[in-house]
Amino acid sequence: MKPGTRLKSAACDTEVMVIRAAEGLIECGGSPMEEAKPTQAAPLAADFSAGTLMGKRYVDADGRYELLCVKPGKGSLSVDGIALVVKDAKPLPASD
Amino acid sequence: MPAERASRASTSPAPAIPLARWADRQLKAMARAHASAALSALDGAAIMGERASNGGFSIAGRISAGPGGSRLMPTRDGGWFALTLIREVDRELLPALFGNAEIDPSDWNAIEAAAARRDCIELVARGRLLGLPVASADELPVSQPVQVMTRGPRRERSPGHRPLVVDLSAIWAGPLAGHLLWQAGMEVVKVESPSRPDLIRRDDPDTFDRINQGKASVLVDFTCAEQKAALVALIRRADVVIESSRPRALLQLGIDADQLVRDVPGLVWLSVTGHGALGEAAQWVGIGNDCGVAGGLSRAMADLTGEIGYVGDAIADPLTGITAAREGLAAYRSGAAQRIGLSMSAIVSMALAEERAHDRAAVDDELHAWGCSVGSAFRHVAPRPLQAPVHPPGADNESYLPC
Repeated sequence: MKPGTRLKSAACDTEVMVIRAAEGLIECGGSPMEEAKPTQAAPLAADFSAGTLMGKRYVDADGRYELLCVKPGKGSLSVDGIALVVKDAKPLPASD
Repeated sequence: MPAERASRASTSPAPAIPLARWADRQLKAMARAHASAALSALDGAAIMGERASNGGFSIAGRISAGPGGSRLMPTRDGGWFALTLIREVDRELLPALFGNAEIDPSDWNAIEAAAARRDCIELVARGRLLGLPVASADELPVSQPVQVMTRGPRRERSPGHRPLVVDLSAIWAGPLAGHLLWQAGMEVVKVESPSRPDLIRRDDPDTFDRINQGKASVLVDFTCAEQKAALVALIRRADVVIESSRPRALLQLGIDADQLVRDVPGLVWLSVTGHGALGEAAQWVGIGNDCGVAGGLSRAMADLTGEIGYVGDAIADPLTGITAAREGLAAYRSGAAQRIGLSMSAIVSMALAEERAHDRAAVDDELHAWGCSVGSAFRHVAPRPLQAPVHPPGADNESYLPC
């Protein structure tokens, strides 16, 4: 998955931009995310319904995946069934 | 390096910062409206140039002055793309910005080469989605420079009332607004969090001291519910709040600006933003140098000289700080609670338009001179003597945040 690719959730309103990705399947709300919004909405899986937050960066434990939420939704993000977690907040800039 | 600065200055005279006269007129108008001798004593050129003078900055063309964190780069379609990279974590977003997993994010040459293979409008759109401070030299600001977003009840104040300002902002624009309100006689409390302090205190103490002198200092641990509640209580007895956070950041901390403005009679809330406080633009990040580009200043200079570059030092910051203070003082005197959104890029655009309406030849001469002065030092500004102590972080917690 190329960095900069925008993916949409089949189960909710979530949209992400790929910062970094390997070969695994990126999911939201328990269903695979696609570049095009599917015509048939997928059900929101109870285990992946914690929601996404606008502007947050989501990562896996190994640092192989990083997704930026550009539109929030009710589903939560996972790769091959393993939940991603929010990356720590950015520090403020020192100067410009 | 004063010796180096002196030798450069002797070979090429330092040009005036364009729009400094506009800034000075705003300060003088504010001083007249509020009968403030302290404001009247301030000089627009000094306020706009003190940071660069303190730091011994030189004019660097397509690289921003001083730390050089912002660059103007040509794009495939003949546009100019400004990108500011001053947080290391932002560099991690460059593969996504350029759609290229292989790019070396530490190498400006590689970044410039990648930008040259893209169209400017596409880079700006994607950069804004990613939360990067980016701009096009040819964009038009999408927001009003100053916009009242929410209104609340009026408050009648007794003649001897000393207004209280809660300054939640960092870096330059917001703290400068707080400083000008302090100069106008208000009591100002600077609020920082231990995990996200205002790093200018450490990285540029000369400038920090000038724009934060005399302010009380409190540290609020935003992970502590009692401290957050104490901060909201402090805000509820304030007359003015200054903040420069993105909208969701405050809400996530449990601070609802619009609700507070509707609740607290007379509360003036100044939201300092890169590109506006409403709609999609409220999510965009903007910093002083790229907002100067987004406001059209670099394009105006290029049209006069044939060479594009940054104008001034983080020029949107001081222009916005002055505008925010002027609007904040006027709103305070009106007595009506209101939240005012300030857009740095639109303020730059407004200042240029107003200055051209005032004396087009003069400002165009200054822009021309600026564009022809790459390599020369910024004009020296005599350091303003400190008039009050600079409070160490958290020195005033007991007085302002009982909890």
